[in-house]
Amino acid sequence: MRAETLVITSESRELARVRAWLGEQLARRGLDSHAQSALQVAVGELTTNSIKHAYDGRAGEPIHISVESREDSVVIQVEDFGKPFDPSRYRHPDLDEMNESGVGLYIVKRLADELTYDLARERGTRWTLVKYQAGTGPRSA
Amino acid sequence: MEIEVTQTGGVTLVVPKGDLDMGTADQMKRTLTELIEKGQSKLVMDLTGVAYVDSSGLGALVAAMKQARAVGGNLKLCGLQEDVRSIFEMTRLIKVMAVHSDRQEAVASW
Repeated sequence: MRAETLVITSESRELARVRAWLGEQLARRGLDSHAQSALQVAVGELTTNSIKHAYDGRAGEPIHISVESREDSVVIQVEDFGKPFDPSRYRHPDLDEMNESGVGLYIVKRLADELTYDLARERGTRWTLVKYQAGTGPRSA
Repeated sequence: MEIEVTQTGGVTLVVPKGDLDMGTADQMKRTLTELIEKGQSKLVMDLTGVAYVDSSGLGALVAAMKQARAVGGNLKLCGLQEDVRSIFEMTRLIKVMAVHSDRQEAVASW
């Protein structure tokens, strides 16, 4: 199945559209409802980060979300063109604290099998998230 | 997001319907803050009608829970759907928040 891309603008009301579109894409690719839900949360968190941090809450800026099937996995990319992600500012949350913020990226890391980011671009960040089919991928070994 | 608020005994029951994400977290936080400021700090939230919660939504609930506890109340949760529950487990909030299986049990726990 070929890669599909959704282009949204940086407003929180667009998050529901992302979830609906992604759910449909993942269902067509045979992922069950729990896997769909997990990836909707992960992609929602990355999109929220783009809105809040890359664009500092500015509306009307582009965010691209793409889904591609591979033999043993689904690859999802979330790309913005704002302020690049600064890995030096990421802190693993202390989960013994009752955190009001700072757990979004932690959630993405827990839900994805692989998560990488590409900063070698003119502007912004491209996140790539890989989810392997059950029984495949590095975590199945 | 629709948020229904009712009183049962001395407990305030909050029943949201819809997704709890960055777009609705502020509305949720505002609703809970107003209730606590009016003295309604014994809160039960039934999440049966919420299929999606992200970190912004969790943040709103944690902030309200802290605010309620600071004045002798609490925010107790019930009716978590399986996928929502897994987010609470992943962030370990399931251990620090009072989570009950259903509304009756949560209200009775007060």
